Amino acid sequence: MSLTAEPSRIAQPARAILPTRGLGDRISALFWRHPNVLLITLLALPLVWLVVVYLGSLAALLLQSFYSIDEFSGQIRREFTLSTYGELLQPANLDIIIRTVAMSAAVTLGAVVIAFPIAYFAARYAKGHWKALFYLGVMLPLWSSYLVKVYAWKLILAREGIITWATDGIGASAVLNGILALPVIGGNSLSTSYIGTWLVFLYVWLPYMILPMQAALERVPQSMLEASADLGASCWQTLRTVIFPLALPGIIAGSIFTFSLTMGDYIIPQIVGSSRRFIGQAVYQLQGTAGNIPLAAAFAVVPIVIMLIYLTIARRKGAFDAL
Amino acid sequence: MTAAVEFLNVSRHFGSVRAVDGVDLSIAEGTFFAMLGPSGSGKTTCLRLMSGFEQPTGGMIRIFGQDCSAVPPNRRNVNTVFQDYALFPHMNVRDNVAYGLMVKGVDKRTRHDRAEELLALVKLEGYGARKPGELSGGQRQRVALARALINEPRVLLLDEPLGALDLKLREAMQDELKALQQRLGITFVFVTHDQGEALSMADQVAVFSQGKIAQIGTPSEIYEKPRTRFVADFVGSSNVLTAEMASRFGAPARPASLRPESIRIGDEGARLRGHVTALRYLGSGTRIVVAVPGGELSVFVTKGHPLPEQGAEVGLVWDAQAMHVMEEG
Repeated sequence: MSLTAEPSRIAQPARAILPTRGLGDRISALFWRHPNVLLITLLALPLVWLVVVYLGSLAALLLQSFYSIDEFSGQIRREFTLSTYGELLQPANLDIIIRTVAMSAAVTLGAVVIAFPIAYFAARYAKGHWKALFYLGVMLPLWSSYLVKVYAWKLILAREGIITWATDGIGASAVLNGILALPVIGGNSLSTSYIGTWLVFLYVWLPYMILPMQAALERVPQSMLEASADLGASCWQTLRTVIFPLALPGIIAGSIFTFSLTMGDYIIPQIVGSSRRFIGQAVYQLQGTAGNIPLAAAFAVVPIVIMLIYLTIARRKGAFDAL
Repeated sequence: MTAAVEFLNVSRHFGSVRAVDGVDLSIAEGTFFAMLGPSGSGKTTCLRLMSGFEQPTGGMIRIFGQDCSAVPPNRRNVNTVFQDYALFPHMNVRDNVAYGLMVKGVDKRTRHDRAEELLALVKLEGYGARKPGELSGGQRQRVALARALINEPRVLLLDEPLGALDLKLREAMQDELKALQQRLGITFVFVTHDQGEALSMADQVAVFSQGKIAQIGTPSEIYEKPRTRFVADFVGSSNVLTAEMASRFGAPARPASLRPESIRIGDEGARLRGHVTALRYLGSGTRIVVAVPGGELSVFVTKGHPLPEQGAEVGLVWDAQAMHVMEEG
């Protein structure tokens, strides 16, 4: 550094306040003086979307469910009534609800069991390339069409499919036949049984369980697991008393996805499974061919209510305490 | 008497990094032992080897005479106070403290009573129902301490437990920890990078450098008779005289340490003369840097003594025995 550069800088002393450079600077200044303006600018569009499009349509749905259909004319009677909800309690409709809830619960439970080791590996051990591989492996199925995946599964599970072929090959067809002979969940083949429906649901929604679970496990500091072991806990005790409660918000978040996505789906049970209907299918048929919008709306409210009950219980149990 | 903790040529290598490299040490039962060193010197890894979170890649670790190379952390009667306290956020203070008894299957009533006793020991009576998130840093530190003591460990390991506290609280906790250790008679092994903390609290100090122990001794030995240039410099930032300089002042021709507070400013009997290049006010006195032929020396002038001006020529006086001859290196 030479001193000869100094005089030119001294000749033009630096200003304490710099001139504005145009519109960008003026907008920045506005936001700086009025932080609320920035907040409104950021939130206006999403809020309009959320309130008008999202909550608005939900309110319309709720409203429809309190209307009823005139049995003779087939017209919607726009008067407040609870009779549509009463219809839900008819044995045929109640069956649909119970079937759907049981399937959603089974899918969620299966997803928790399968996702936990994967999420645990990703959160605790995967570094660098392994982490990238994990994300790729979990996300990759999401990049392909949902319908293609479901049909692919139909082929895998069909009587002429790869699973039957493989079990025959290793001489385990008796096991497969034994599973298919199980009451209720069994069937003619995997692709026409509840087991098949469950497997496809599990496959399709698993990423939505793994990702929040992994995020939750990642937030559990290593020192906390060490503290547990240090105080004498076995691996199992640490899992039960420290890891599980701390990962619970993630598990709940994941289960909200798997549970509600299963409850609302109407394509998978139509392609893979016994022909018995789920809520999604009932809604699809009622608002379409049957033209019974009120009952379709009442059916659609069921998953919402179940999720609200579920979240309330989860909150009471302290699932969100560690958030 | 068997040693509480014994390291026999213990190493812990992570790939090519030698975090701990051939360490021998023996910690007598009932002592307050400090492991002092800069970050990355291997002191924390040594602590983790004692608790079992790390396994040695070489050598043998004995706790009360028993080889524990193959013993997992949950079966070692050794407990740790973690640097970040590692309190379980989903449990209240009482359940945190009682955790060690809970995993042993002690019934709720007994373990809660015991937890209250330990909370009283760390002066946190009545805090049992609170969550760790509602406590201050100092209070969390006490909870971590109570939790680590509930299993009545034979050795308590403390990983920089005061690092996150502010100065005032840290000093108060230093006194409390020391008093607690004397009362309980448990061996405390304490990791710190703060030399003041190590000197004021410990019975024995091990100074770590690059995975090895540079020196083990009592605080006064470490401070007054540093064995190497590293120890002299790290503990109390001493002046290190070169071998050539040391021999000029009648000492053997080896590097020597000379503490800044051992040097006086005065013309009578001055061994060296130099110019004052910097003055740093430290509250209890002033540290003066004097440029002398062949280097510079720090001089500590206690409050009340006259201070030279910046740039003034001064004479430096010290007693021959104040110079401590060290090993090479």
